[in-house]
Amino acid sequence: MRKAITVTVNGRACAREVPIRLLLVDFIRDGCGLTGTHVGCGHEGRCGACTVLIEGRAHKSCLTLAVQADGKEVTTIEGLGSRGLPHHLKRAFRRYHALQCGFCTSGILMNAVDFLDENINPDEEEVRRALIGNLCRCTGYSHIVEAILAASAMRHGLKPEPPPAETEPPP
Amino acid sequence: MTAAGGEGWIDRSLERQEDDRLLAGDGEFLADLRVDGCLHLCFVRSDHAHARIRSVRTAAALAMPGVVAAVTGADLATEMEGGRLQAAPPAPAATRGQVWPLAVEEVCWHGEPVAAVVADDKYVAEDAAAAVAVDYEALPVVTDAEAALREGAPRAHDGWESNEVFAARCTGGADADAIAANDAEVEAAFAAAAVVLSQRFRARRSGAFPLETRGALALWSDEDGLTLRLATQHPHGARLALADLLGLPAAAVRIVAPRDQGGGFGATAPVCREHAVVCHLARRLGRPVRWIETRAEHLMAAGQGWDRVHDLDIAADREGRILALRDRGIADVGDGREDIRRGFVAPQLGSVMLPGAYAIAHADITLRCTVTNKASPGPSRPADAYPARFALERGLDMLARRLGLETAALKRRNLIADFPFTGVTGVRHDSGDYLKAWDTLLERVDLAGFRAMQADARAEGHYLGIGFACGAELSAIPPDMLPPRGERTDLPPGETAGLAHTAGVEAPKPAPCFTAHAATVEVDIETGRFIVLDYVTCEDVGTVIDPIVVEGEVQGAVVHGMSNAMFEELVYGEDGRHWAADLGRYPLASAADVPHVTVAFAPTPSPDHPPGVRALGQGRPGPVPGALANAICDALAPFGVEITTLPLRPEMILSLIEAGRAGNGGASRDIAVRRKA
Ligand code: FES
Ligand code: FES
Repeated sequence: MRKAITVTVNGRACAREVPIRLLLVDFIRDGCGLTGTHVGCGHEGRCGACTVLIEGRAHKSCLTLAVQADGKEVTTIEGLGSRGLPHHLKRAFRRYHALQCGFCTSGILMNAVDFLDENINPDEEEVRRALIGNLCRCTGYSHIVEAILAASAMRHGLKPEPPPAETEPPP
Repeated sequence: MTAAGGEGWIDRSLERQEDDRLLAGDGEFLADLRVDGCLHLCFVRSDHAHARIRSVRTAAALAMPGVVAAVTGADLATEMEGGRLQAAPPAPAATRGQVWPLAVEEVCWHGEPVAAVVADDKYVAEDAAAAVAVDYEALPVVTDAEAALREGAPRAHDGWESNEVFAARCTGGADADAIAANDAEVEAAFAAAAVVLSQRFRARRSGAFPLETRGALALWSDEDGLTLRLATQHPHGARLALADLLGLPAAAVRIVAPRDQGGGFGATAPVCREHAVVCHLARRLGRPVRWIETRAEHLMAAGQGWDRVHDLDIAADREGRILALRDRGIADVGDGREDIRRGFVAPQLGSVMLPGAYAIAHADITLRCTVTNKASPGPSRPADAYPARFALERGLDMLARRLGLETAALKRRNLIADFPFTGVTGVRHDSGDYLKAWDTLLERVDLAGFRAMQADARAEGHYLGIGFACGAELSAIPPDMLPPRGERTDLPPGETAGLAHTAGVEAPKPAPCFTAHAATVEVDIETGRFIVLDYVTCEDVGTVIDPIVVEGEVQGAVVHGMSNAMFEELVYGEDGRHWAADLGRYPLASAADVPHVTVAFAPTPSPDHPPGVRALGQGRPGPVPGALANAICDALAPFGVEITTLPLRPEMILSLIEAGRAGNGGASRDIAVRRKA
């Protein structure tokens, strides 16, 4: 069975006729061509790599049908800031080396956006607990936690943004 | 975060170039590649651990709209030229198992690929795979290595003479006289020892399990041959192996690894049967074919590690100096017929790495590998140093307790102090200052302060403990451990196997790095649960090029080790069925389960590797299970708890506490988590 749906993804209306069993993550990746959202656990809802924002709240897009997002606003990693003006969380992730392979990163970022919207100035414990639905096999989480804490502090002006690191050594 | 700011590229934390695209969502992982007309492949896997295949019926699958092909093992056996994957053994003593990419006639483990279905939509491919009907006749199953080695045990592979496929002696040299002399020295050291500790240690299966599962995307052109986009750590090995399997000249096979890969940790190093099937079908159909593994398949079939028993004897003097070591290793290599590293090399490397950073003068170390009806294990960081480090580090703590010595002092006394040092298994330690790194670690943890705090806490009914472990880890297999390289004769004239252009330096010798760990835990004696309060490592990775990257690498590896040791176990039922094929039953550590990992440095530049660098990626998880288990046993010293098995399950810890309370503390009984099928 198929159904015509319209989902606003990163501000752009995406109208498609989809099988009703199509998962939102496949709609985003295959239907909209936005492959920054990843699948790490084959639709078990355990790894969090597929996390996106639906109406501003974090959801696992492998546990959501595309038809459930009909008429809603979805934000993915591609819609978080821009290359010219990256989102403060992205700047912090880069600065604190919070990604290694980058496979878990999109889901963690989207979860962190939701978390920081709800929590002003969280402590390390709270950040770690907020990340319970996102697995990372590369980083050991320390740098991710540091980056989220730093992004929170920067956002509320509690801490100046660190100077950008060099990408090349001085000649 | 580590402060940065050295000269040039050295000791300077730079932002990574790939972060830009990864953070923009522009990464290019295998599943992200857009290829017009690409078909999707789904495997049908055995739901028996050992059975004869009576029939595989694909008609219903083929009749479904959108299904393009369905193949069975029997089809491949007639269609493929090279066809069979062969576990090339490192020594002639090994049995050479061979296997078709899809099972023919017999399945030997739960999850073994039996058939493959290709469709133009991945949802349809999944439906069609479910519609393939396989008729099995169950065969006797063997899932335990020791049971498999017993006289009259069922054979993991029907008709094989024995389940034992490989045996190695890692000490004493090559000829019989040298071995006899070595064994006599070890005997004499044991006879003269003030104390001998004999203990069995066991590490159950866990492993690599990166966040991105395996996958392959094959493109065929009659003109150019095969192009395989493959998430791999080892493209050159894959190229040669697939050329053989597909009956193609190496020049007609190109492996292109995607720009981004979601971790590997060993899981994507081996050449897999699945890859051969994907390539074969792309060639047969003349269309691109992609396979993206599900998490369930990944947990069943890839990146499994350890499954090891170490029967360890340590002879020591009264000050805790190790006089000699004897180790009888038993490795469960599961099916054992896949890529070379999936059966023999990793276990052997584990036994070779057993002495680690300790200066051990005499040793007798042997290993037996046996097949069982489980998946073939593969490389998983830190190769098989994981069970070996656990055994020795736990053994030394037990020894310290018996001698009434502080374990940190006993371990320090045994560390290699004079360089270069060639160990009993032939591992060469080129240079270093292991004592400096050890002392730096001890300064960081303030052992005396901790002991005072521990005593206060105990008086209030809180059980805190500290545990130490270390390792000297290799980045590569020493060249003299490898089998002699045969000349390849099937390459076209002028073509050589290997890299076309190499830049940089070829490591002339392995440069072991040193890593020392301290864990602090609190154990709840009512439940056996524990939390890791603090974890510190001190690293000698030689010259540190980018401190924040090194720190991240170490933290990631340590947490990988914690996750393996605390939560992960690939449980097989008595009928050989895999019980842990999802992340609910096979949980990985989350941020809330682990503490911040502090990384300290005590570098000594390697003289052999410009600019003084040493191994980094490989070894870090190795000491983790020992450090954690030692900390738990230190906390539970009043109960005489001695852990000897991994993982560190609360129910196992609780049973040891209870045994201690009942007055018969001691080593953990070997408590398996077995469920009735
Ligand atoms: S892919 Fe959605 S939680 Fe893992
Ligand atoms: S950075 Fe690789 S899984 Fe998180």
